[in-house]
Amino acid sequence: MGGFFSSIFSGLFGTREMRILILGLDGAGKTTILYRLQVGEVVTTIPTIGFNVETVTYKNLKFQVWDLGGQTSIRPYWRCYYSNTDAVIYVVDSSDRDRMGISKSELVAMLEEEELKKAILVVFANKQDMEQAMTPAEVANALGLPALKDRKWQIFKTSATKGTGLDEAMEWLVDSLKSRQ
Amino acid sequence: MFAKLKKKIAEEAATAPRSGVRLPRTISKESITSMGADSGDDFASDGSSSRDDLPALLLRRNDQMRKLEAKLSDYAEQLRIMQKTKEKLEIALENHQDSSIKKLQEQNEFHQANRAKMAEGMTLALDKKDQEWMKKLTVVENEKTALSARLDEMMEQSLTLFQKRDDMDELDGFQQQELAKVKHMLLRKEEQLGQRERDLQQQEAKLHSAKQRLSETQGKLQAVQKQHEESARITAELEIEREQLLLLREEADKKIGDLDGQNQKLQLIIQQVSADLQKSQSMVSFSERSLQDLQTEHNALKLKQQKAAVTEEDKERMLGDLQKKVNSLERQLQGNLSQDDHLLELLQERSNLEQRLEETRTELLEFRTKHADTVNSLEAQVSKMTSCITELQTLLRHKDESSRSYRERTDTQVSKDMHKKKIPNTQGEWSAEKAFLDQQLSLLQQQSLEKKCRLEETITALQTDKRTMQDMMVDEKEKPHTPLQVELDGRQKVSTEIAKALEESRRQREELQTQVCVHIPTCQPFGARQASLVQLRDEFEHLRVQREQIEQDKDSQLAHLREELLSQTQQQDTCQARIAYLEVEVETLTEQLHMCDGNHNGSVTVDDLDHIQKVNKELEQQLSDKNKTIKQLQQRMAELKRTLQKELVRLTRHLPCMFLECGRKPEYPEKTHKEMVCAELPQASSPSLSTANTTVTNTSDLNDSREINFEYLKHVVLKFMSSREAEAFQLIRAVSVLLNFTREEEDMLKQTLEYKMSWFGSKPSPKGIIRPSVSGSSTPWS
Repeated sequence: MGGFFSSIFSGLFGTREMRILILGLDGAGKTTILYRLQVGEVVTTIPTIGFNVETVTYKNLKFQVWDLGGQTSIRPYWRCYYSNTDAVIYVVDSSDRDRMGISKSELVAMLEEEELKKAILVVFANKQDMEQAMTPAEVANALGLPALKDRKWQIFKTSATKGTGLDEAMEWLVDSLKSRQ
Repeated sequence: MFAKLKKKIAEEAATAPRSGVRLPRTISKESITSMGADSGDDFASDGSSSRDDLPALLLRRNDQMRKLEAKLSDYAEQLRIMQKTKEKLEIALENHQDSSIKKLQEQNEFHQANRAKMAEGMTLALDKKDQEWMKKLTVVENEKTALSARLDEMMEQSLTLFQKRDDMDELDGFQQQELAKVKHMLLRKEEQLGQRERDLQQQEAKLHSAKQRLSETQGKLQAVQKQHEESARITAELEIEREQLLLLREEADKKIGDLDGQNQKLQLIIQQVSADLQKSQSMVSFSERSLQDLQTEHNALKLKQQKAAVTEEDKERMLGDLQKKVNSLERQLQGNLSQDDHLLELLQERSNLEQRLEETRTELLEFRTKHADTVNSLEAQVSKMTSCITELQTLLRHKDESSRSYRERTDTQVSKDMHKKKIPNTQGEWSAEKAFLDQQLSLLQQQSLEKKCRLEETITALQTDKRTMQDMMVDEKEKPHTPLQVELDGRQKVSTEIAKALEESRRQREELQTQVCVHIPTCQPFGARQASLVQLRDEFEHLRVQREQIEQDKDSQLAHLREELLSQTQQQDTCQARIAYLEVEVETLTEQLHMCDGNHNGSVTVDDLDHIQKVNKELEQQLSDKNKTIKQLQQRMAELKRTLQKELVRLTRHLPCMFLECGRKPEYPEKTHKEMVCAELPQASSPSLSTANTTVTNTSDLNDSREINFEYLKHVVLKFMSSREAEAFQLIRAVSVLLNFTREEEDMLKQTLEYKMSWFGSKPSPKGIIRPSVSGSSTPWS
């Protein structure tokens, strides 16, 4: 009943918050991206033990953005947050070639989840400002993105510290979310 | 999770009194006392039983007493023995104590001495240790400095390598750029070449088409030439014909002249004829006059006839008189019957006379009818003649006019012919026609001559007829105008014949004119053909000029293309030269690089590049390896630092114990941690790719993960409590997973949150599902 009314309420005001998860290995820059998206500034971060959740408004769309800590021990808790997720922003440290395999297996395991079947996937090839950073194509190939089926995905090269590439990615995300509705 | 926590807390608690475990003596004492206490308690509990069992109890007690007594006796004995032994022991103890005290004192002294020694030794050892530590530290520092130096070196090397690599990259980039440029230029040139080739092909195609057209035009030209030749031949023939025709024409002109002469003659004849006609007219007028005369004569004859009739009447009157006479005579006879014979005679005479009279009368009648007939016929003839004459006159006039027009036309035609001398084709025809005309004319002349002859014959016949008529007339009534009339008739006939002949000639002329008119347009196409020939020639000339122009253009284009090709090849050469130059540069650079590396490769080939790249790759690999090793070293250093910190913490925490344990302890955890690090390192260096999702259940990492998990739980719970309902709703799962909630508990949490979030609805009842979470079958998660 309440859900019904709340759905009417949300239908009346059209402000259903989009639920977005920011995932990725530790040190990929998830928290930096979250706060870059929210306040547009680079904040000094410490390794996230837990998560950060912020409401980001972008182009009249409200996003409930969850930045989940990516350390190995707390990665298994990601799946606790999968339900009702509209989109997943998967952040990859483009300069970390050694852990690309782990990143890939984490991504694959995540995408196999039933709760995320309908979620849009946006991959941020982050830390593009670093030298020896892999190109988005390399990252995409390393993550096995081209082999993905039944999944709307896109890769963007970003630099959270420089703030480049985030707008395009969010633009694409907003568009694809709008088109999906 | 709580269990783990509890375990952890227990462990943590256990770690703290770890030092206490090492005093077993006290524990044994305690256990003995506790045992005694326990037995006492048993008695106490036994004593508190009921009275019903008193006898039995008494019996038992008695037994026990007995047993106890026996035991007591035993114990007493034992006690005695014990006392003895005790005494002995006391003695021994005293001795021992003395000795032990002595020993103790000694030992104490020794111990103190030892302790002092030990302290000294300890201090020494500590100093040594400190020194060792210091040494180690210095060594470590040295190592560190060495490592840092190496690191710096490595960094420098890496930097230099980076620089070199950058340079190389730049060079490669430049090279690639240059190569790309060159390739691009080459491609462009190739494209241009292709375009040129295409253009060339197009031009060739155009040329082909032009050639085809040329061949076509040549074919056309040949055809035209053939036509031209044919026409030339035709013209030659025509010229020959024309010459012939000219000759013919001359002949024809001559003939025309002749014909003109003849015409003139004919005109003369006509004039003569007209003169004759005039004469005949005059004759006609004369004959008319004579006719008038004849008419007058006829009138006179009529008058005579009348006179004759009058005479006849007279005769009739006379006859009547005679008859009267006869009658009188008859009366006389009657009176004179005697006179019969005489009378008979008279009667005979009278009948004779009457017969004669009758005869004469018939004759007269006949003559009269004949005369009337002849007169009528003559009159008809005369009227006919007059009409004929008038007709003839009109005809003559017409003839004159026609002859005049004919002459004019002939003149105009002759002039036209003179104009048309250039067209020889028709001239032949014309001449042929002229000949034909001449023939016709001659025929006509002959015909006219024949007709003339015939006319003359007819005239003569007519004349003879006239003459006969005249004779007849003369015979009949001696009419003088018959021959004239006959002559007139003949003349008229002749004139009609002439008129006919003239008409015929006129018709022929008209036909000729029509023929000429027909031939004129046939002449015109020839002119048109000549014009078309001229046009074709012009076209041919034009085409030839065009072809030459096209050829010139193509030659110029070809020359241009060749020039361009030359320029392109030159550019290519320059490019190649540049490439060579670049290569040389690259080689020099590689040489320099080699010089830097200490390797000297004198070979100056493209292989060097590959070699350099290989070297570069190797260097990069080395670099990456070194980076890895650096990372590993750093990690190890971090681990060392961490362990150091931990150890420091533990040292501070377990300082008293450590002091008690005479500094033997600190080495143990370090060792273990080093082992841990060693156990951890391969894990870190070789991360499991396939089972990244599996939790690390390694005992060595358990502590750490638990720490993190606890922190995580704390954070999640904190957030769960502090965040909005919407966010908290999403956190239910995490919380329930972290705290091993059952499904019911999770659902309950959800329901309560939903109730909180919604405006309506009832608070969900707990339904007695709150149980200890440990007993609940929690969903295990990996």
